[in-house]
Formats: sequence, C-alpha cells, structure tokens
Amino acid sequence: MDRNQPDLFHLLQVLAEHHVDFIVIDGVGAVLQGAPIATFDLDVVHSREPANLERLLMALTELGAYYREHAEKRLTPAMPHLAGPGHHLLMTQAGPLDLLGVVTKGRGYADLLPAAIDLQIRPGLSAKVLDLAMIITLKEELGGEKDLAALPVLRRTLRERR
Amino acid sequence: MHERRDANPIDRPPPARSSMPGSPDDGVDVTLIRWMLALTPEERLRTLENTIRSILRLRDGQKPA
Repeated sequence: MDRNQPDLFHLLQVLAEHHVDFIVIDGVGAVLQGAPIATFDLDVVHSREPANLERLLMALTELGAYYREHAEKRLTPAMPHLAGPGHHLLMTQAGPLDLLGVVTKGRGYADLLPAAIDLQIRPGLSAKVLDLAMIITLKEELGGEKDLAALPVLRRTLRERR
Repeated sequence: MHERRDANPIDRPPPARSSMPGSPDDGVDVTLIRWMLALTPEERLRTLENTIRSILRLRDGQKPA
C-alpha cells in the first residue's frame, strides 16, 4: 500500500477488526457527517484502558505505524506512550493516523463517549464518530487558525442537517 | 446508524450554484453541503479520499523534474 495514498477505509477497518475502542473526531468525523471539507489524516481519541491499548498496539503493528516526526528512525509507538494523554502523530501503510489521548479541557475517550454516534460507514464497517456539534465545540475551544477557518462550513452543515 | 440515500451517486456533480437559491451570507457554498449530505457516509469518505488523491497528484505534478 502506498503511504502517499491514504486509505481511510483500511485504517478504520484494521482498528475495527482489532476491536479497538476509539472515536473518530475532527475532519474525517465531520466529512462522515456531511461537511464538505478536506483533511489528510484520520484523528481518533482512543480508550486508554490497558486491554484496549493492547488491541490498539496490535492494530498499529499490522498498520506498520511509526512516529511521523521521527520518520528516519522509524520509532514505533509503545504501550506506555499510548497510555498517556499526549498526541501521537503516526504514519502508517494506509496514511497518516493521529491518536489523541485527550482533547481540549482534558477530555478523554470516556468523556467524549456520550457525544459520539455509532455510524455504519459501509456494510461490515462501523465506527464511533464524535457528533458534529461536539466537533464544532472542540474547534472553537482550540481556536487555531485552521480550526476557526473550518467553522463556517461546519456550522452551516450542522444547520442543514437539522 | 446507517444513512442511506439512493438518489445521489457519488459521481454525480453537485448542482449548479445558480440552481440553488438563497446564497449564504457567510461565504459558505451551501450547494456543496447539500450535495455531501445527500451522499452516504461511505460515499462521503470516498469523496474525501478522491480529493486527497487529486491534491497529491497536483502537488506531485508541480515538482520539478
């Protein structure tokens, strides 16, 4: 698989096949809910429960994941890293994958779960996706230029969905 | 949840802007939003992948030989 040709379906499929508990957030989450925006990576918040980290690590091994910022060293994620609240910016055989321990205001997987929806992406592939209203909230809280620039489209998409 | 709408295949272009009255005042092209909303989640994700590939092809095409 060409790392320059992201395969979002494959990324999600491998995570699902390993029964990883995760929530799709940010750009891909917004696109899945109908927002016409472009993004290059899959951002997910993962459960940091020990059993889930084991499943996640197996999925990452299958995907050949390594840290993008240390591409020349091919530094691979390890359990202690994934158990922390940090952000892991990975490259995989199916394209970029960002694993976030927590997002704004220290929200982790369990905190975001009530705002996640179960979405069937295609037959045999489902995933938890953070609902669009909460994606907007996170972007408002982040307040970065890129986040703020996306807000008009996301807000309008939310209004059109209602 | 599986959103399924059969009427708008992914290869159908979004409607012409002039055919969608009510141009938004926030600069957002609502016709694109309505087009995306008419797709299934699978079609939306495939649209995103196609967009990424197109951008990458354009980028690679602009590299000096």
